[in-house]
Amino acid sequence: MKRSNLIRLLTKLLAIILVTSIAWTLRERAVNNLPVDYDEDDYLRAAQQFTELIRAKDWAGFEETNYRAEHPPLSKILFGFSLLSAPEAPLIPDRPTSAGPDQYLPRDLLHNARSMGQVFGTLTVFLLSLLNPIAGLFLAAHTFTIKYVSQVMLEALPALTSLVTVMAYVQSKKHKNASGWLIVSAVFLGLTAASKYLYCLVGIAILIDWYLVSKENDNLRAFVRNVLLWGVLAVALFFLADPYLWPDPINRLKESVFYHAGYATGASEVSNAGFPFWQPFVWLNTSAFYWHEDVFVVGLDFLATILAAFGIMRLWKKERTYVLWLIIAVVFLLLWPTKWPQYILVLTVPLSFAAGEAVAMGWEKALERIRRPRLEKEARQVFNRRDVARSLPWLVPGLIVFIVFTLFPLIFQVAISLTDFNSISIKDGLNGGVWREVWEGLTGQTQPVNQDFPYRSKEVQFTGPTSYVPVFNWITGDGILVFNILWMILSVALQTILGIGAALLLWNKRIRFRRGWQTLFILPWAIPETIGALMWISVFASTFGWLALAVQDFGKEIPIAFLNDWARSPNLTLIVLLIVGLWYGFPFMMLAASAGLKQLPVEVFDAAAMDGANAWQIFRHVTWPLLMPLVIPAIIIRGIFAFNQFYLLQLFGFMHGNYYMTSLATLSYNIFNPSGFGGFNGQFAVSASLNIITLLILVGLVSLFNRWSKAEEGVTYA
Amino acid sequence: MRKPTLMNQILSQVGLLLIGLFVLIPIWSISRLAFDESLKSRPVEFRVLPKDLGFAPMQQVMDRPYQSVTFKNLLRNSLIVSGGSALGAIILGMSLAYAFARFRFPGRKVGLFILLLAAMLPPIALTTALYIVLSILKIRTTLFGLAIIYTTFAMPFCIWNMRAAFQSTPKELEEAAYLDGASNFRTFLEISLPLAIPSIAVSALIAFLMGYSEFAIGWLFIDKSDNVTLAMSIYSILGSGATQPWSQIGSLALIMSLPVVIIFVILQHTLLDQMLLGNTGESS
Repeated sequence: MKRSNLIRLLTKLLAIILVTSIAWTLRERAVNNLPVDYDEDDYLRAAQQFTELIRAKDWAGFEETNYRAEHPPLSKILFGFSLLSAPEAPLIPDRPTSAGPDQYLPRDLLHNARSMGQVFGTLTVFLLSLLNPIAGLFLAAHTFTIKYVSQVMLEALPALTSLVTVMAYVQSKKHKNASGWLIVSAVFLGLTAASKYLYCLVGIAILIDWYLVSKENDNLRAFVRNVLLWGVLAVALFFLADPYLWPDPINRLKESVFYHAGYATGASEVSNAGFPFWQPFVWLNTSAFYWHEDVFVVGLDFLATILAAFGIMRLWKKERTYVLWLIIAVVFLLLWPTKWPQYILVLTVPLSFAAGEAVAMGWEKALERIRRPRLEKEARQVFNRRDVARSLPWLVPGLIVFIVFTLFPLIFQVAISLTDFNSISIKDGLNGGVWREVWEGLTGQTQPVNQDFPYRSKEVQFTGPTSYVPVFNWITGDGILVFNILWMILSVALQTILGIGAALLLWNKRIRFRRGWQTLFILPWAIPETIGALMWISVFASTFGWLALAVQDFGKEIPIAFLNDWARSPNLTLIVLLIVGLWYGFPFMMLAASAGLKQLPVEVFDAAAMDGANAWQIFRHVTWPLLMPLVIPAIIIRGIFAFNQFYLLQLFGFMHGNYYMTSLATLSYNIFNPSGFGGFNGQFAVSASLNIITLLILVGLVSLFNRWSKAEEGVTYA
Repeated sequence: MRKPTLMNQILSQVGLLLIGLFVLIPIWSISRLAFDESLKSRPVEFRVLPKDLGFAPMQQVMDRPYQSVTFKNLLRNSLIVSGGSALGAIILGMSLAYAFARFRFPGRKVGLFILLLAAMLPPIALTTALYIVLSILKIRTTLFGLAIIYTTFAMPFCIWNMRAAFQSTPKELEEAAYLDGASNFRTFLEISLPLAIPSIAVSALIAFLMGYSEFAIGWLFIDKSDNVTLAMSIYSILGSGATQPWSQIGSLALIMSLPVVIIFVILQHTLLDQMLLGNTGESS
């Protein structure tokens, strides 16, 4: 073996050991320090019942025991074994699923059961770190994962077995003699099913990948046969590992599966939680750190999510089954009405993997840049002296204006964000209090003070950058940031579709009333945003809007009556906001697309039509690829505007109660506003920190978009 | 391009009709309220057409739309503030735009990025400092102060667009004039500026519109009802729980958007050309 290879192997081994021990330590802390959560009493009670059966050697009793029968019993049985070493305790009382956490559970039982989860959780991290140690590190530190594998919940075991299922399947693709690995994969899929149904989603990912591979190899007949065998084996294992099913398989299985459908659509705690459909994204962008700050060391879950977005392409090339797993799980979680945070554990493994790949990619790029001779420096622009001299008379006044009007306010924002400046200390601020405090703070003359929100001090005080963390928690934890980004993506996507559609309809010069239609369609663009919002308020207002009056006079049978209650449901609120946003934004996209279409050569389309291509084919293969580069700048501009959307969200915000459905700009305005409502007004410092965070996000977005296309050459009108 | 078949024509018209309806729904909704003389406060029954068609709400609004302020006063304030800010943004931003468009100097790329970023910032991000500075200067609650604020919001954006305009005028013309002995400034004034006027006008129009429809930041600064603009008055009427009849609110909205809509409809082709084809700039 070559020496460098040996070193690499040893490094990897060391990394795996390190990551695994980090995972163990973090989960150990969680086991010992986490308060009792919902459902832990239920599963501990279930475990106690199994412990009793084991002690009495009453194996037949397993067939009739499965407390909380909606979930299969395997995890509970293993919890039962973990309790054998603990002293006996009276059975925990039976309480409804909606009951609050019971803080008086017997501690030694709780500890034993939780420790078992700790073992499974650490094993999961170990296996993942075999694939990619960085990915293992992300999973090891993922706070929601730590929390739910270290509590008496059903997540730890299926998270592990589902990973083994996929790993074994992937191995089977690499080995000539695949059947051994496939058997392992089927066995573990069965065990996964016997632990928690949700995690069987990996089976779908495997089937899709398997189908694609067989199709590529033209091997579909063998595919059907193998899949059938694999599936039968998995089902058999599931049945074996679920003794509760033995006496009456069909009915009991039906009952437990249908329970979930009923729970998701009927249970009061699900509908009372009032989570929007995108809540899983909120969980993925916040962290359990903020719930139990004494238990977790850091809350960097959002980092894994962001990096995963960058690493997903690389992971797809490396092993697409994991990406399929991630996609299927995301889609399922978005569609499924129950949105408990523990559900995201079904995808934290592939998520961490994708994040790990992103880090590996970044590392390789950095190495490449170091190794490559510095070509860029040679290509540096040479400045013509005469040119620079000529530019000065223009540059100097321009720069002065720009510095006074734009840069100074921005720098001032940074300064404010380091203090507790608020509407009560405004007098001091007017007398230069902000600069005094920041100067003294940065030169070490005053110590930063710790203040609670909202700031209400009478004098400006230096706080250091302490506002940033709580502000960031707030916008991620309450889902404001996720909504803002979701809003940007969805509203611009809709505007683009309708805009391009309208442009295509108006493309042909022989279309009747072409001018008239076009003039009509640009009206929303010409109407000031405030007025547009007002017009839509007259349609959607809850008691006196056009829609509400129609429902009042004609009953709920009219087609769009379901929208009438929009203010009470976050999902419907999003639909209403999207309708209004679409109305505002599509004319601009239509104009951009029309201008683009004008530049396209007509001959290409005529030729395609001659060759017998139908309308859809022409659009898909000719129009779209030619048009796309021309409308991308407009899409980017609209995207930034949507990210900063203010008037619409502000005015509609008065009408619905979902305060998190807003943009960072709107939020910043409302906490700045000294005469605003709620206890959170006049918070200049908080607003400033929020603005700086917005600025950083925009820097990221703009550089991302810039790389995507040369946006800065494009239009900036909107 | 070939003539569409009858079927295509019909399908296209149906599609266009649907989009047209979508565009018209809110406009119709506010109009049906604006011209209804019978409305005493909020509408209480479903109507497609006004119950008592008439211009009385319009006339009332033209007379005294908001508290004790006359419509003339509101409109004047709006025009001063938005016109002033458009003019300010153009004049103050022009020299930087020209420098970015025509000269190469160190730090140009970084400058462009900062400019783009500034153009994309939400206005609130620049507000605090202005609040302080204008308070110190004791012009925070004046129309002049408000015009300065809106100038600040519109300027990065105007610089960006004027840069594109200057870039698209042929450089050879300028070089020729310069070699003929015209001064830097004269070249700009007699060659570049006239050629870029249409684009600059569009930038000014957009800046004007920003100020014309802005209400939120305005309310942070203005506290005298004499200095309220049209957009601010609408926001205030809405926020105060709308004791005024919706016929008047609707009338105000229509009156406020009418001039802008007329300008846009007349200028739509110029606007379109300027906006979408007016920048064939070099890569930066």
